[in-house]
Amino acid sequence: MTNMGQKGSFQSLPQGCELIGDLKISEVMTRNVLAVPRNTTIREAQSIMKENSITGVPVVDSRVVVGIVSMNDIMNALESGRMDDPVTDWMTFEVQALAEEMPLSFAISAFSKYPFRRFPVVNKRNELAGIITFRNINLALIRELSRQLQEKNNLNEHSVDMSSLELVKEYLLSRYDFENGGKASSEIKKFLKGHGIPSRLIRRVAIASYELEINLVAHSDGGMLGFDINADRVVITSHDHGPGIADVDQALTEGFSTANEWIRSLGFGAGIGLPNIKRVSDEFIIQSTLGLGTMIRAVINIHTKDQHNN
Amino acid sequence: MKLIRIAEALETRIAYGPAAWEQINIKSIFSSDLMSDILMSDLDNMLIVTSLSTEQSIRSTGMVNSEAVVITNNKAVTDGMVVLAEELEIALFCVKFPTYETCVRLGRIMKT
Ligand SMILES: Nc1ncnc2c1ncn2[C@@H]1O[C@H](COP(=O)(O)OP(=O)(O)OP(=O)(O)O)[C@@H](O)[C@H]1O
Ligand SMILES: [Mg+2]
Repeated sequence: MTNMGQKGSFQSLPQGCELIGDLKISEVMTRNVLAVPRNTTIREAQSIMKENSITGVPVVDSRVVVGIVSMNDIMNALESGRMDDPVTDWMTFEVQALAEEMPLSFAISAFSKYPFRRFPVVNKRNELAGIITFRNINLALIRELSRQLQEKNNLNEHSVDMSSLELVKEYLLSRYDFENGGKASSEIKKFLKGHGIPSRLIRRVAIASYELEINLVAHSDGGMLGFDINADRVVITSHDHGPGIADVDQALTEGFSTANEWIRSLGFGAGIGLPNIKRVSDEFIIQSTLGLGTMIRAVINIHTKDQHNN
Repeated sequence: MKLIRIAEALETRIAYGPAAWEQINIKSIFSSDLMSDILMSDLDNMLIVTSLSTEQSIRSTGMVNSEAVVITNNKAVTDGMVVLAEELEIALFCVKFPTYETCVRLGRIMKT
């Protein structure tokens, strides 16, 4: 606690602590904080606040906070018809500032202890480093809560909802339809996430599926992307009716690509899609005949550990 | 590092920010204009930096579980990109700097 003008000490809130963990005020505060010098007029301060839709602004003297002007102070000045007074005539001098390295719990107790809606945050040299409002704290709590929930989901593999983990679905892809390429993979990704599959596993499925999907759009005359999902594994298949691949081994070599300029300008054609699908898959089969088409099957196991144990 | 610090250091224009985007935790930066490069990456909590302003940039970001993408070079983003970012809950930022300067700035703040 950095005290300016008035002494006081904050206790940390025990309930809030678990959730906010070891977050520091500096990680949560708004950094680009507006401040005005002593000789600013109330009128100027009011227009700065209006332009930036904020309800208070710190007053600084070479970066050290000397006061804070709030909407209230401005209304008082307005009532007295003294809008051209310097802010120092109307501002609150007794500013409670918080130090940026303090735990967030201190900021929370500051809000319950004082009537203020914002606290300036200062660095070790007592200079203004940011400002913290309830909004900052709410956002931090929301984020932390969802992060912790997600972590729980990822750690606890038993929470995988096996009963309904079953899906057979096919998607049609057209040549050069880059606008829709990726929709199928996003949908499957969402489905797996909804069933509590660990995010590392989902990432592998998404990568294989997306690379296959884009290959259908970029290189085939159009084809089909199929998914067969159950509690044990995800099977992704890609079928198309041409043009086929002349040399499959070559196509599987990192860096080999027949992508044209246009496809490259869209960010594809590095020639590492197929090798990457192979990398993330537990099983990978490719068959292709020039003139007839290409068939690829990629399998990603969901229960690798169990299979090893059996 | 929290995404808000990055947004500030890059003087970012926020095309889309999901709820509480300020608190998104970034552990690594990955920069490429090749989608397959992004998909080959093996890092977690990445910030994707690319000058490729396409819907596929957003999709690729989502596929590797990244929550934020920065489009460099002062490029405009399409409505379709914003809608997709919203759907995938990905923070979509535009910066005026070229990719190189963006990465230099990021390197500087990641060190502190
Ligand atoms: N479905 C397909 N039909 C015909 N040719 C294909 C098909 N899929 C891949 N290929 C051929 O295999 C090559 C290598 O594919 P790969 O996915 O590895 O790289 P890429 O698609 O060219 O580039 P990247 O995936 O890195 O963006 C392609 O350039 C293309 O010639
Ligand atoms: Mg490819």
